[in-house]
Amino acid sequence: MLTRADSERCYHCGEPVPAGTFFSAEIDGEARPMCCPGCQAVAKLIAGSGLDSFYRLRTELNETAAPLPEENLYLAYDDPANSADFVSGLDDGLQRAQLLLGGISCAACTWLIEKALLANPAVRAANVNLSQQSLVVEFNRDRLPVSELFQQLLALGYDPHPWQLSEGARLIETEQRAALRELAVAGLAMMQVGMFGIALHAGDIQGIALEYRGLMRWVSLLIASVVVLYSARSFFRNAWNNLRFGRLVMDVPVALAIGLAYIASAWATVRNDGEVYFDSIAMFTFFLLLGRYLERQVRRREYLRQTDLQSLLPVAALRREGDRWQTVATRSIRAGDELLLRAGDTVPADGVLLDGGGAVDEAAFTGEHLPRSIGPGERVCAGTVLREGGGSMRVDCDAAGSRLATMLSMLTRGGDKPALAKLADRVAARFVGVVLLVAAGVAAYWLHTDPSRALWITLSVLVVSCPCALALATPAALTAATAHLRRRGLLLVGEDSLEALLRCRRVVFDKTGTLTRGHLRRRETRIAGEISEADALALAAALEQQGRHPIAQAFADITPARGLEQVEVVAGRGIRGWLNGRRLAIGSPSFVTGTCPKLPAPPTSPGHWIALADQLGPLAWIALEDTPRNDAAQTVRALQRRGLTVELLTGDPSDAGPELAQQLDLDAARIGASPQDKLDHIHRLQAAGTPVAMVGDGLNDAPVLAAADCAFAVNQATDLAKSQADAILLGQSLGPLDDAFGMAVRCRKTIRQNMGWALSYNALAVPLAAAGWVPPWAAAVGMSASSLLVVLNSLRLK
Amino acid sequence: MDSLYILIPIALVFCAVAIKLLLWAIDSGQYDDLDKEAWRILMDEEDTQPHERKPQD
Repeated sequence: MLTRADSERCYHCGEPVPAGTFFSAEIDGEARPMCCPGCQAVAKLIAGSGLDSFYRLRTELNETAAPLPEENLYLAYDDPANSADFVSGLDDGLQRAQLLLGGISCAACTWLIEKALLANPAVRAANVNLSQQSLVVEFNRDRLPVSELFQQLLALGYDPHPWQLSEGARLIETEQRAALRELAVAGLAMMQVGMFGIALHAGDIQGIALEYRGLMRWVSLLIASVVVLYSARSFFRNAWNNLRFGRLVMDVPVALAIGLAYIASAWATVRNDGEVYFDSIAMFTFFLLLGRYLERQVRRREYLRQTDLQSLLPVAALRREGDRWQTVATRSIRAGDELLLRAGDTVPADGVLLDGGGAVDEAAFTGEHLPRSIGPGERVCAGTVLREGGGSMRVDCDAAGSRLATMLSMLTRGGDKPALAKLADRVAARFVGVVLLVAAGVAAYWLHTDPSRALWITLSVLVVSCPCALALATPAALTAATAHLRRRGLLLVGEDSLEALLRCRRVVFDKTGTLTRGHLRRRETRIAGEISEADALALAAALEQQGRHPIAQAFADITPARGLEQVEVVAGRGIRGWLNGRRLAIGSPSFVTGTCPKLPAPPTSPGHWIALADQLGPLAWIALEDTPRNDAAQTVRALQRRGLTVELLTGDPSDAGPELAQQLDLDAARIGASPQDKLDHIHRLQAAGTPVAMVGDGLNDAPVLAAADCAFAVNQATDLAKSQADAILLGQSLGPLDDAFGMAVRCRKTIRQNMGWALSYNALAVPLAAAGWVPPWAAAVGMSASSLLVVLNSLRLK
Repeated sequence: MDSLYILIPIALVFCAVAIKLLLWAIDSGQYDDLDKEAWRILMDEEDTQPHERKPQD
């Protein structure tokens, strides 16, 4: 029998090629191995369209492609009423569709999708946005039905979803563009004012005719007015909004500095004496806006991933209309409808199974990775997946009342994150108070001693104390830390995540899919009959290959025996078949007893035991388990060395939880917790004064992630979980978690150094200015130098 | 030095035009996806004609 080297990997997705399979596709004239029919179909399509160069251009591997469903699941969208949310008509009779695409991994994907779509004459324009992972396509719906468009994207290996821009997302887009406009104006103005600034500073040193000095000041005033009135207006607005409620935030001294420096300079220009600070105003505004723009850019990415009920449910369902099944859009399903469920379907609504049965995967709600067997009369929930079997169900509540909808609404209740008083704002509050007091003192003193100099000296105190460095201290350090962590494989989304992380004393992990990989592996095989282990596994693999149950994954690495006949898959229980005159069965002990009445009790050691037997007697017992991620133990140890308590919190009630806790040496484990239990547990810990960091992946973790002080989602997490997380792990490894804790400590240290420097600069410069000893050029140089120092210090975080 | 009275206004006009162009580019969505644009120029050079196998000799 031919075997392939373990090292052979799928050319499309990089997964190991399972033994005994020989899928391949010809790319650039060379046959490349493929791991599954799905990847093979996609690769053949790409190569067949002459787009082979995609594989040379890409910088990341693709996601493993699922085989195309036999029928078009998107037919419901061909009805304009069902697609009105994301397909709009254009003036010239064409349509524009907005879609979100799953599976885009690098820029080459955008190229591939655009090229492939544009090859169809019915498509006029296609534009993929890489950072939003969205697609806008203009096409003729009569020549290319919407369902066909979806099907083509699916055939390329991307998972299309309708994209309805939510109000929130639309607002973020508009804000981001406005921020970029303000930044652009400030940047160009800064260059202009800076040019005149150099002439003016040179004039201060070597002498300049009053006439030309006046001209340059007036021009600078003109340009700086645009900066102050247009680009800097958000600072004034924020400062005013916060001041009205008695809050002194960082924007207050910023607005005060910009405003006062501008007024003082304008006054000096009109009177043609004193000093002007237009260049500092423009530069300061530009750098602050730049910091904020970059910070927002990071967060925008994840905010745009809207998660609503619709995106978690299937597009369409089969509803009984009279005596036949009609495909209808999921959103038109009401209580009382009768729906048909088939293997592989996501259940579209809550209800009761009328007939049939099968195994339903409820990992979304319970975190349990093995599907639950169901029969007539049992409840099924919207959002769960029917892995095997089939039947019909009666819907008993509308979408708004479903368990899934209840879970989503828990988010809003769980989503009250502990408010963080930001270090920068706390410092700012005191700083503003002190500066105003000092300025008042200086004004009073000079009015008393030398009234003619009082105004200019007071203004110079206020300008010199301009908190540029102070305002940049935090954002510069945070931006540097975020960039560093991103390269290490952790995307920070929340503004306060690093600061929140510092306070966390406990890290709570979800089990399935977070600490573990979320798929089953063989742990142990015990031979119980006259058979070699290799033969037993080959038989088991042959049987399991027939089912869709997740257990089949555990046998993917085995070459199955050939010649299996009359296979019968009993949903949720096991599989039977005939091979060379033997009647074989694999599955749960109670199922296998049907074939082999003499089956003894399963071994007592831990694990999920399944039996393999023929009609004469048992052949083997196989224990399955979910395996921890490669670096789980290492990461847990590293976190514990930091003095953190590491806890397991899982919905799985089996003994796999405690066993994993022991294996990884965790400090505590709670098993069988419902989403509400999990939320209560986090709230209890927080009430007892322990800030909690949570790491999770599933739908059921989303409310808990929202409630935790700092939340991490793993890469494979559901969109809902990601949307609640402060940080997202980008790779397979848990290691970046530990990096994040380390970076949080270093980042705080850097912020403190920055603030210490900024405050001591002010402490030194203000008394000198108060005494009237600081020439304006020295004040401007000092201001710029201290800001530069803060930025450079922050860059050390890399 | 009197030329300054002409040159500075000209510079200002250029600056205003530059700002105007930049704002137009932002509003027409050209800065919405900075990740892709960096790559696009490389992609389009590749030939996209259906693959023709060259005879091996």
